[in-house]
Amino acid sequence: MAATVEAPVPAEQDSARCGPEEENRGAEVEEKSQQQQQQTGSTGPAVPHSRLSKLPLARIKALMKTDPDVSLASQESVFIIAKATELFVEMIAKDALVYAQQGKRKTLQRKDLDNAIEAIDEFAFLEGTLD
Amino acid sequence: MAERPEDLNLPNAVITRIIKEALPDGVNVSKEARRAISQAASVFVLYATSCANNFAMKAKRKTLNAGDVLAAMEEMEFERFLEPLRDALEVYKKDQRGRKEVSEQKRRDKERKADSENDKSREEEEEEEEEEQQRMEEEPEEEAEEEEDDN
Repeated sequence: MAATVEAPVPAEQDSARCGPEEENRGAEVEEKSQQQQQQTGSTGPAVPHSRLSKLPLARIKALMKTDPDVSLASQESVFIIAKATELFVEMIAKDALVYAQQGKRKTLQRKDLDNAIEAIDEFAFLEGTLD
Repeated sequence: MAERPEDLNLPNAVITRIIKEALPDGVNVSKEARRAISQAASVFVLYATSCANNFAMKAKRKTLNAGDVLAAMEEMEFERFLEPLRDALEVYKKDQRGRKEVSEQKRRDKERKADSENDKSREEEEEEEEEEQQRMEEEPEEEAEEEEDDN
């Protein structure tokens, strides 16, 4: 089973290796390289300079900005939300799996998601939000 | 160029990978389930952002920070996320610091080089700066801007 926790070591190695190119620029450039990594698809883990977040920070930030009350968000906050979203996806997938297993299925289906959302308090905010 | 929430989805490939890594081998995920999880993830981002923003506004800050997000997690009853998030934040901050140091070191090296060049003829200086600028084009904006300042 693959580990779900990002190992810090690779990130540090990347930081040293890609040193000259990677800097603490604005979020934009960092996001671009992450998007590029995502666009090359699942051709193996092409490790960008910051392999700390699987989700592209640019996309997360753009989502955050759709909230009219949000003016500015620190880079760290965008990163933390990205990371939290990752944890959320893991959690909901695992919780939905329980229902698939109850139904003796090996394939997670939409109804398993619906069941999980209905049953689990933390997912109450999702009710009525999915197509 | 305002983006609506509906237009912004998280990349399928990444969502799929996260799901697969969370589940045991041999388990499959239907397309509809994957789509629903992706949608749920977007809703999560929006909800967490809104919640975090409330904390920022309460503190009379215009900029959302990491602390606001952590407070939001607790408010949303995702306390189980707090520890892994704090750990991840530490690694992230270290990584950012490391990269900032590299960038500052480069800047210092460049300034040192520029100082020693002031002794040479001006023509020579301009030629080298042009070359650096071409190289700089592949590199961070910060350095390109500095180049312009020197001119």
